[in-house]
Amino acid sequence: MLEKGAAKKVTIFVNEDTQHRFGPLTDAILTFLLHKGVSGATATRAMAGFGAHHVMHTTKIEVLTEHLPVRIEFIESAEKVDELMPALYDMVSDGVIEMQDTHVVKVANKERPAPPKAPHAELRGAARLMRIYMGESDKWEGEPLYDAIVKRLRLMDIAGATVYRGILGYGVKGHTHKGGGLFSRDLPIMISVVDNEERLRAAIDVIESMMQDGLIVLSDVDVIRLVRSRSPEEVSNANS
Amino acid sequence: MRTVKNAKLLRLHFSEGDRFNGRPLYEAVVDRCRELRIAGATVFRGLEGYGETAEMHKHRNDKPIVVTIVDTEDNLARLIPEMEAMMDTGMIATSDVEAIRIENPAA
Repeated sequence: MLEKGAAKKVTIFVNEDTQHRFGPLTDAILTFLLHKGVSGATATRAMAGFGAHHVMHTTKIEVLTEHLPVRIEFIESAEKVDELMPALYDMVSDGVIEMQDTHVVKVANKERPAPPKAPHAELRGAARLMRIYMGESDKWEGEPLYDAIVKRLRLMDIAGATVYRGILGYGVKGHTHKGGGLFSRDLPIMISVVDNEERLRAAIDVIESMMQDGLIVLSDVDVIRLVRSRSPEEVSNANS
Repeated sequence: MRTVKNAKLLRLHFSEGDRFNGRPLYEAVVDRCRELRIAGATVFRGLEGYGETAEMHKHRNDKPIVVTIVDTEDNLARLIPEMEAMMDTGMIATSDVEAIRIENPAA
């Protein structure tokens, strides 16, 4: 199962009609990867290209549609790629294998369970509580600032965030936040976030770049218990 | 640009129905904070809860109210006696915080 973080991306270029034993090489490679439990692989047929033989293959001219390039791509952990590479090296009798370092940002999987590792189970005991104050009408790139901040915190895997809307207040700018007409209200918003110091520091750097004017308040808290970690199903629902 | 300093966070807990001189207590509290030049105050309304009198706050107009105020220890020391005088029942709590003020003038 693919996880977030550093990984390897392998790209294999072969000809559509290169054979491996009794069938096309592309089929053989995909079958091999599936059998070995690779989390995903994609074969794409090119519309044009040329390879080491320096013959142009293109779909535009019928006589040249033979030997069209096929590109097979998959992403796996470095260990898994190491394990697979000798066999792939052997199979690709005509073509190129390329490999690069990559970074997996998100793995969302609706049906298959994620590994049983609880996402935030390590959060126990002393932690920090961060409160972020802003106005409801503050914007970032056209969307409400509080929305943008919560999305960004999720992307950073921060343990949790809650947005509160106040009913009255004023801040450093001195103007009163209150509910006016339907379209003119600017109520105070507070986001509370609990996580460890290091992760909150990273979050503050990001929030600072998004915020024009606001206040962040940090205090020490003891996390007594986490109710439970979310099941993989809930995680993917939350992602969708 | 950020300015970091040690500060105190004050929380006042009371109910929405509480009044002071004929107006909602939370409004009076915010106005008083402003008169005393306190840096900021924010009023939140809870959904339900219970407090000193062990009665559930869930009727319309009697929901729990929390006012949070962040300022220096000295300023809050000035404020707290005033708040105590205004509040009939309720709770006042303080905690130590690190306050980070963010100012990025619009480009």
